[in-house]
Amino acid sequence: MKSPIRCISLLMLGLLAAAPAYADLKVATSLTDLASVAQLVGGKHVSAQSLSRGFEDPHFVPAKPSLMKAIQHADVFVSVGLELDAGWLPLVLPGSRNPRIQPGAKGFVDASEGVAVLEKPVGTVSRAEGDIHPFGNPHYYADPKNLEVVADHLAEVFSRLDPANAADYAANAKAFDGKMETSLAKWEQQMAPFKGAPVVTYHKNFVYFADRFGLKLFGNVEPKPGIPPTPRHIAELAEAMKKAGAKVVLYQPYYSADASRQLASKADGVAVCIATEAGGLPGTDDVFSKFDSLVSLVAGALSGKSGGAR
Amino acid sequence: MRHRTGATLALAVSLAWSGAASTSVAQAQTSSMFSNQANPAIGMNALFSGQAAHNLKQPYGLHFDEAEISLIAVVDPYWTFVSNIVFVGDGSVDPEEVWVRSTNIPGIQLKLGKIRGTFGKHGLLHTHAFPFIQAPIVMANTIGNEGFKDAGVEAAWLTPLPWFSELTGGVYQGIAADGDHPLDFGSTKHDNVPYLGHFKNQFDLNDATTLELGQSFLQGRGIDGNRHAAFGADVTIRNVPAKNSNRRGWILQGEYIQKGASGGGTFTREQDGGYASFQYRLSQVWWVGARGEQARRSFTDFLVDGAGDEIPGKINRASANIAWMPSEFSFVRLEYSHAQADAGGGIKPNDDRIMIQMSYTIGYHPAHAY
Repeated sequence: MKSPIRCISLLMLGLLAAAPAYADLKVATSLTDLASVAQLVGGKHVSAQSLSRGFEDPHFVPAKPSLMKAIQHADVFVSVGLELDAGWLPLVLPGSRNPRIQPGAKGFVDASEGVAVLEKPVGTVSRAEGDIHPFGNPHYYADPKNLEVVADHLAEVFSRLDPANAADYAANAKAFDGKMETSLAKWEQQMAPFKGAPVVTYHKNFVYFADRFGLKLFGNVEPKPGIPPTPRHIAELAEAMKKAGAKVVLYQPYYSADASRQLASKADGVAVCIATEAGGLPGTDDVFSKFDSLVSLVAGALSGKSGGAR
Repeated sequence: MRHRTGATLALAVSLAWSGAASTSVAQAQTSSMFSNQANPAIGMNALFSGQAAHNLKQPYGLHFDEAEISLIAVVDPYWTFVSNIVFVGDGSVDPEEVWVRSTNIPGIQLKLGKIRGTFGKHGLLHTHAFPFIQAPIVMANTIGNEGFKDAGVEAAWLTPLPWFSELTGGVYQGIAADGDHPLDFGSTKHDNVPYLGHFKNQFDLNDATTLELGQSFLQGRGIDGNRHAAFGADVTIRNVPAKNSNRRGWILQGEYIQKGASGGGTFTREQDGGYASFQYRLSQVWWVGARGEQARRSFTDFLVDGAGDEIPGKINRASANIAWMPSEFSFVRLEYSHAQADAGGGIKPNDDRIMIQMSYTIGYHPAHAY
């Protein structure tokens, strides 16, 4: 009779042999933009997937067990950081039972590291202000420049985990940054006529875009972050918009189109559905096409030549 | 109910340990020799309720049900510490959950300490996360109104199957039956190691809808020397539309639990029952729900004999509720239930009651499981 230890050893070897062999770094992210950047930086050595989809509210991704399964064998997990994904990641990450990607492990990346964070609360943080993010506004991926920071960061991480392909990661990140700079010049040109133009957004997730392109944030459809709009707030904001000549309301596919359109209608403006996350609208599959679409929609709405429902 | 409370847990708590902490700790120590930078994430939930039940000898009015304080932190690179201490309305304190979790073992999640045994669906919920104010009657008659809570060790293995398939095994301390633990695991014999098995499979039916199937088993030896056991089966279909994940959705759930004992080679079914419930999210802030349930050979507060003592019988109950959640951190819900019981011998009381419950959460609160 074989010894139990030998039996167990054989079983373990069998399980190892049965495990599929992967040449690539398997990267999972909490946001589509991060998966897009990871794929462009990783190139052929990386397969990247996002747990959320671009048309899904990144604050409220259902922590389905299937997401845990999806990252069970990931080598790297890239979190947005700044608590944007804190409502679901604390369930999904431990649930994956994958020690390589837990916070503190080499495979866990907080993509916000190195980003110049805006709207960091000063003084006491209170939920009287709604569901605020105590570490600052986490929607930094709406500024093209910040994605260059993410790309450089990911190239470093990938190089550490896969030194054999470090040169490729560095070259890909450099190419990414170069393409982003060229694209940014184009987008800045498109947005140049609208410096100082007021826009209303559903949620406070447009500050980085506004900061980059010189737009003025006039208000939000939500009275406070995470708090649904009330008729009174809509009426007051619409009145203020009319007085100030603000005519553009921007909302993501995962926010209430009805409330945004109602506000725009009361303010004699337009409500435009935009994608701030890649994949949020058709034709926004990667971060470049996302910004192409975003800039074009915002510029179109501000010029009064195109845009959503009046 | 889902709380996404200012969650720092695995991320911020862990991140505090990785890198950023070294600077901030150093800074903090310049002003004090004691640093508070590694303090746990702290949260508290308070539950209040009122009940109008005409055939119960209870005054109407607002009750303080419980206040649950939770402390969560990373212990070291190997363990995360989770605790929920409940201050009950009667003045007692229940260390409901005090456990550590390791995720350093590939494929396996290890929990040890005072834990809530992974049995069924409803039994895994904290009181403020119950979908209805009243737990199903079968719960208090089988594994416990708030589930099976005991000291022990559980390992949950994520199997290599291509979908989420989890097999959990646990062993617990022998514990006598009491108000919280209907199961008699009180044998003092050395071979009395109550154990649990749980098998959970979850499938994505489409982009928005999931199907979850669970089977549970729990067994131990009682003071009477007999084996006491509970079996459970549950099914949950849940829909969360991708573009409306914070405004729409529904949950259809059913669960059956049976408690029994075996002695002299025969198994005797004691209490059993189940429920089917449907919850529907009307908007970001409104939820409605309906539930039908049955419990057999079971006890409940309005099924009493002439002396006022609870007696067993068959109970059917229907409940409906509506909840208003102005934010993720508070809710108010109103619930009505109608129940009919039959204890034999002509004892067939009916029960109607209206309840209101308020929940408030401050600080950090871990997200509720899907």
